[in-house]
Formats: sequence, structure tokens, C-alpha cells
Amino acid sequence: MSAILEIRGLRAGYGRRTVLEDISFTLPAGEWFALLGPNGCGKSTLLDCVVGRLAPSGGEIAIDGFSLGKDAYEAKRRLGYACAPDVLPALLTGRQCLEVHAAAKQLGGIGPDLLALAEELRFTPYLDSFVDTLSLGTRQKLSVLLALVGDPLLIVLDEAFNGLDPASALILKRHLRAHIERRGGVLLLATHSLDIVEHYADSAAVLIDGNLKQAWPKPELQRLRAGQSDFEAALAAAIGKF
Amino acid sequence: MALLLAGALGASFWAAGSVIAPGLTALRRHGLLCLGLAAVATAVLVARRRSLERARFLRSWLAAVPVRSSAARWEALLIETFPASAALILIASLALIAALAFARRADIVAVWANLSGGVVLGVIISYLAPPPKPVDLPPGSRYVPHRNVRQAAPVHPSLAALGQWPIRQLFAWAQPKAVARAIIPILVMMPLGTTADTAMIVIALFASTGALLLACSAGLSVSRLAMRWLAPLPVRSRAVIRAFLLPSCAFILGAGAMTALLLIAFNASFRSSIMVGASSALIGCLLFGAALSWNARARGAR
Repeated sequence: MSAILEIRGLRAGYGRRTVLEDISFTLPAGEWFALLGPNGCGKSTLLDCVVGRLAPSGGEIAIDGFSLGKDAYEAKRRLGYACAPDVLPALLTGRQCLEVHAAAKQLGGIGPDLLALAEELRFTPYLDSFVDTLSLGTRQKLSVLLALVGDPLLIVLDEAFNGLDPASALILKRHLRAHIERRGGVLLLATHSLDIVEHYADSAAVLIDGNLKQAWPKPELQRLRAGQSDFEAALAAAIGKF
Repeated sequence: MALLLAGALGASFWAAGSVIAPGLTALRRHGLLCLGLAAVATAVLVARRRSLERARFLRSWLAAVPVRSSAARWEALLIETFPASAALILIASLALIAALAFARRADIVAVWANLSGGVVLGVIISYLAPPPKPVDLPPGSRYVPHRNVRQAAPVHPSLAALGQWPIRQLFAWAQPKAVARAIIPILVMMPLGTTADTAMIVIALFASTGALLLACSAGLSVSRLAMRWLAPLPVRSRAVIRAFLLPSCAFILGAGAMTALLLIAFNASFRSSIMVGASSALIGCLLFGAALSWNARARGAR
């Protein structure tokens, strides 16, 4: 199976402070990957590198074979990123945010799937409201909808279910699962929610002090699920080891 | 650094003594007016700060910390009267430097006493007067003109919204209350006998130059935010710059042209009015363009 996201020897930090050291992993098509780890371990920094918001100090990131450093345009065409709600432009409306994203990805319009998801998430009534008047959960919905514009191969989400009501979170999780299976894409999600790892993720890894300390590939995660094992205990044991 | 600044100020006071002396005499002659103005300004400033700080404290992470009520009262007093304390120190420092560099010490002492007395009086008034209404800042978009779109209208991919963003930011900053407050000193400064026509032109001039300045600052602020938002998107920097620049520059040029026209109506010479309008618009557009290019380059470097 072809790799959608390939990270080799990634190093990154802020100024003199190194946050990520020699991170390497590959995500094949159709995989939901959950990135776990304690607060401040570098999860968001890793995602910032993957989406091109932070220049790594070393290593290589490739999306669907296109290097983010050398061919950023082609790599980003295959990427959808749900930014933090506070990064959304406060003085544009939801509709205008969608218009800008669609234009940036050179689309002819927004797909009916996405509009149907907006309707399901009950976002449609807020399409023409300014972002600064939306609640945190509604902004989070907009952020995820923007990430899905253009049917991207790689979807990157950072704690994207925070602030969402349980019904919307469930709709979104099911939609994302269906999306990566239909599209043959990859979902990279940084999260603290073990429920997602237990029920939706295909593989997971724990990041501690800037290093991927333990990974649970697809067969191992399936084995944990089949044996009704407690993933929480497995994760706590992994964190406790380091 | 402070000593260097004091030295520079002292030297400039000493060098410009002949210009400052009549000003000092005038300030001393209108001592009561200076005292009154300082008192009103301080009272308004401290009362507003008190209201803002109290609203902020209710949401502060320290709100639940047990503090003795006497200590809390003193701390609140220090925080709320900080601008007045800073003004007192500034006035005293300027007076001291002027007294060292200048011979007219009696005038300096009188002006210092009037201004400082006004500030102290203002603080007292602000605490005696009833507290202002609690401040509840509305979202910036409340003041942004916006065309309603049909609910069922399709989403048309376009970067045009980026061009509206700086202008919307301008409207969000120029809230009616802020504009009204800014106009008051302009009206107060107009000499007696000013005709209504002149007053209208002065206010319009204030509006056009204010719009020009705000448009430039909004452009600078928004371009940074936009590049952060757009960083993960496959959009060419050239396209983003074009989408931003055209409407904002048209707005800035319009404000510059309006300034020039108002200056002509204010009996300034045609040549100098055009010069002022054109140069301010040009500087505004260049500043905005440079900020956009800088931020776009930083985005491209990632």
C-alpha cells in the first residue's frame, strides 16, 4: 500500500529549544493514526511541521510523495488542516472562509458531501455569521469543515473534537472514518481521547519528550480491541516506562 | 537610557528656550484651565480603567485567591490609578529637566503645580463620582457593514473576502463610541467664532486622516493573521497579495483623495493639498504592501 504521509528524521524546535528529535514514521493509505502524549510533549509542533506552519530544522516530510520542503504547493494540495478556532479570521463569515479555502485549492465549488455534513452538524444556519460571533464548538465545526474542503488525501486534526457536543462529535467521527476509507486517505489526529483510539483509530503512537516512544500498529491495536484489553492501562504502562 | 533621554530633553529645552518660554507663560496664565482639563481627563481615564479592571478581575485566575480586604483595596487603588501615578511622575520629571535647563523656574513650578494638582483632583473626583456602567465589549463584527446573503446561495470559490478583511478590521476598531470620544477634544480645541462650515470640514478631515491611519494599521495587523491562517493552504503568495492589496489600496487612495479635497475646501493651496493627500495615500499603500510581502515571504520560507 502506498504511503500517504512519510516523515523521516524530523527535527524541529523554537529558537534554541529542540522539541522534536529524529521522528520517523510512515502512514499508508486508509489509516486513522492517533498521536498521543502528555501535555507539552510536542504533538502540536509535529502537526505544525506536517502542515507547513513550522519549518523543521532537519529531516523530510512528504505527502503523497511530494516533499513539503521542495514541492510545498503540490504537497499542500493534498492536505486538509483544521486550525485552532482562535486562528480563524474573526471578521469573515463561515461562507467566506469556505470560499477562500475552495479558491486556494482551485476548486469549482464546494462538494455536496461537505454541504451535507455542514447540514448534519447543524452548521448551515451559521454560514453567514461572522466567525467572532460563533461559539467555540461552532468554530470547531467550521475548522473541520475547512479541513475537508477539496477532499484531501491527508487530514490533520489537532484536538478537533474539543468543544463539540457528543452528537456532532459522533457524526464527525463516522464521517471521517467513511472519508478515509472511500478516499484512501490518512487521518492524523493529535488527541487525549482514548475513546477515539479504542473505537476509531487504526494505529497509534505515544510521543514523549519529542520522541515517538511506543507505537501500536494496526494488528496490535486490533489485538488489544479483540482481547477486550484496557488500552488506558497499556498507554499508562507505556508512559510509565519512560 | 533614561539619563540619555533626560539629557536629550534638557538639551532640546535649552536649545528651544525662546519658543518654549511664551508657551510656559501662556500655560501659567491659564493655570485654572490647565488644572480643570487635567482633572477631567484623569477622572474619565481612572473611572474607565476602574470599570475595565473590575470586569477583568472577575474573570482573572486570581479571583478565587484569598486576599485580605485591606490589601485588596490598596492593590486595586494602585492598579486603577496607575495612569494618574505615571502622569504625575512624567510631569514631575519634565518639570525637573526643564528647571535644570531653563531660567524661568517660577513659571515651571506654577505649571507643574497646576497640572499635578489637576491629576490629583481628577483621581479624587473619579472615586467620588458614581462608577461608570460595566464595560461589556461587543464582538468587533457588530460595527462591520455586511450584505445579507440568501441562505441557499451556493458557495463560490474566491479570494475576494481577503480584500474585505482589512476594511472590516477598520470598522471594528472605529467603534462609534471611540469616534465620538475622539471628536470631543477636536471640538473643544476649536476657537470661539468658528463657523459650522469650518467645524464640519475639520471633523471630515479628522475622519479621512483617521480612516487612512486605521486602514494602514488594519492592513498591517490583518496581513500577519491571514498568513498564519493560510499557511497550510496551497495558495500562491502573489494571489494572496493581489486579493488583499487591491481593495485596501483603493480605500487608502480614496481616503487620501478625500483628505486632499477637504484641505482645498479648508483654503489650503491646491498644490500642497494634492501633495499631502497623494503622499499620505502613497505611504499607506507602500507600508501595507511591504507588510504583506514581508509576511508572505515569512510564510513562503516555511
